[in-house]
Amino acid sequence: MPGVVRILDLVKNYELEAVTVRALRGVSLTVDEGDFLALMGPSGSGKSTLLNLLGCLDRPTSGNYYLGEEDVSEMEDDQLSEIRSKYLGFVFQSYNLLAQYTVVENIEVPLLYQDRRLSEETQRRCVELAELVGLGDRLDHRPMQLSGGQQQRVAIARALVNDPHLILADEPTGNLDSRTSDEIMHLLAKLNQAGKTIIMVTHETDIAAWARRVVRMRDGHIESDEPNPHPNGHIALVTRH
Amino acid sequence: MNSDSPLLVLWDKGSRLMVLALRSLWLHKLRASLSVLGIIIGTGAVISLMAFGEGSMHDALEDIKRQGATNIIVRSIKPPDDGSSQRRSFTVTYGLTYADFERFQMVSSVVGSVPMRIVDPQEIRRMQYMHRGRVVGTTAAYQNINKIQLVMGRFLVDADEEEGDGDDVGMRNVCVLGSDVAEALFPFESPLGQSVVLNKHLFVVVGVLAERMPTGAVGGSSVSAEEFNNDVYIPLRTCRGRYGERIYIRQSGARSGEQVELHQVTLTVSDMDKVRITGDAIRDLLERNHIKKDWGVTVPLDRLEAAERQKQRFTVLLVFIASISLFVGGIGIMNIMLATVTERTREIGIRRALGAKRRDITFQFLIEAIVQTSVGGLFGVLLGLGIVYGVPYAAEQFFNSHLPAKLHVMSIFLSLGVSICVGVLFGWYPAQRASRLDPIEALRHE
Repeated sequence: MPGVVRILDLVKNYELEAVTVRALRGVSLTVDEGDFLALMGPSGSGKSTLLNLLGCLDRPTSGNYYLGEEDVSEMEDDQLSEIRSKYLGFVFQSYNLLAQYTVVENIEVPLLYQDRRLSEETQRRCVELAELVGLGDRLDHRPMQLSGGQQQRVAIARALVNDPHLILADEPTGNLDSRTSDEIMHLLAKLNQAGKTIIMVTHETDIAAWARRVVRMRDGHIESDEPNPHPNGHIALVTRH
Repeated sequence: MNSDSPLLVLWDKGSRLMVLALRSLWLHKLRASLSVLGIIIGTGAVISLMAFGEGSMHDALEDIKRQGATNIIVRSIKPPDDGSSQRRSFTVTYGLTYADFERFQMVSSVVGSVPMRIVDPQEIRRMQYMHRGRVVGTTAAYQNINKIQLVMGRFLVDADEEEGDGDDVGMRNVCVLGSDVAEALFPFESPLGQSVVLNKHLFVVVGVLAERMPTGAVGGSSVSAEEFNNDVYIPLRTCRGRYGERIYIRQSGARSGEQVELHQVTLTVSDMDKVRITGDAIRDLLERNHIKKDWGVTVPLDRLEAAERQKQRFTVLLVFIASISLFVGGIGIMNIMLATVTERTREIGIRRALGAKRRDITFQFLIEAIVQTSVGGLFGVLLGLGIVYGVPYAAEQFFNSHLPAKLHVMSIFLSLGVSICVGVLFGWYPAQRASRLDPIEALRHE
């Protein structure tokens, strides 16, 4: 079975005024369905660049990127938008909710850009997702009225609404205290166990410990790629049962 | 995956975005109202100016209709005293003559003609009542040409011109009263069959006119504003007999007089197309038979064209004013939209990351601009309606002047349509700019 994500010799150069910044210098990586991968590395190692490419927000200078069956490395802007709305879910460090929307409306946003009408059914799905992340009693709240942890839960629900192949999380706990971080990581681990593929950028080892696999980057290369035999979430789930 | 009809999807998106735009307008009430001020004023100006233009045009048209579009009005005009005659006579003789009147009949396109003698305002008496009004000597044809309405009795008839048994010289002493005269002299009873005293003679009232709208003045001296409700109409023949052709004016001891046979002749032309040619023929006729320019020819149809030209000029001016204010309004919108795009860069980044295509972003900001200008347009319509109904009312109340305004329903739709167009036109560039933002950069934007 081919991986959800297959990247082959991915190169990304940024042309600045006089110099060329070589952010990725030939990265190859395969992520299988149901994997939970933590992407680590110091700043400037290229992990953010890699995440942007994986998120179809940018196009590589060279190399190939297969998301599922499709090679997205050569796609036009509009096609990339379509890929994002159909196959990807994003969780950001600063939550990035739309301030003027309620919880349910925020969860709905990715569906706005799939070319179909919103129905009672999609509405119901959004409410279910809000309940799944534990915000069933705050459906009509606006982001300003929620705590950081709650906002990140809304963002996770939003990342799930289009039933994506892949969830990309960019330091999802970076703005949260350790207790709330734990809650968020529990939620992600639970989703992973339900079959969701997750790629998460982090620089904290105890957050990376929740993943099944840890990839370390340095200077635009993959430095190490090791499985994590005892990810945190498993133990937590086992102890809970 | 089920796919719906693209139009329905577009409608869905559009209506959602409209709600969102209205919501953010409500959130920034002051900012929004300042930015659409130009649109409000522009739209209001279009509607009110159109209404005033239409109103005055309407008034002018009514006026012309009252004078009759197929009519030609020929008047006697006192020529300027040139002092050429050393022998200063008491009386100045000028104006239209009965011979002129006969000549007019020979113009083939003239189908009706009414001669008039107008005696300057004087006392009309009955018992203890007195009223000042003009005495007009005319014929039965006057009724048709001026579309006279009567409230009681009859107008003058042809038989009134014939020799009658009215008195010693066989003139019929009958009269028809204008509405104000009738009201003043007969406050409590019907004037029909009663007598009034004109110039020491008794006249029997045979009819009373309905109230008549005055006609407006025309540029030049040929036709001045006329008021009809104080008039008394008597048969022309009787008028000649009772008043003679001379009128004396006493002025600081000196006596001067003028002799005029007919003050006015109103001619009706068979066909609207022939009015102008006939007018020229009449002028020609008068020029050949009068030494002095003691006459004037007015063709109300000319006024119609003048009014139309004036309306056109007014329309050009209006379009000019409207486009300037809407242009300024549009710039206001563009300005605020550019600010909005900068302010909401992060939102744009989020939406792009979540799958929005460039055209979705363009659409969103375009809708927002259109919603702003349409809301501005709506308020502008309200402002315009306020002016159209309020200003004439205020003018009537406080300055006692008549300011005609006639609301043009089309102007409402027109100005709303134009405000929407302004939204599209000036919202386009900011929306394009929003859609061109790089999603990664936009997401990083604080």
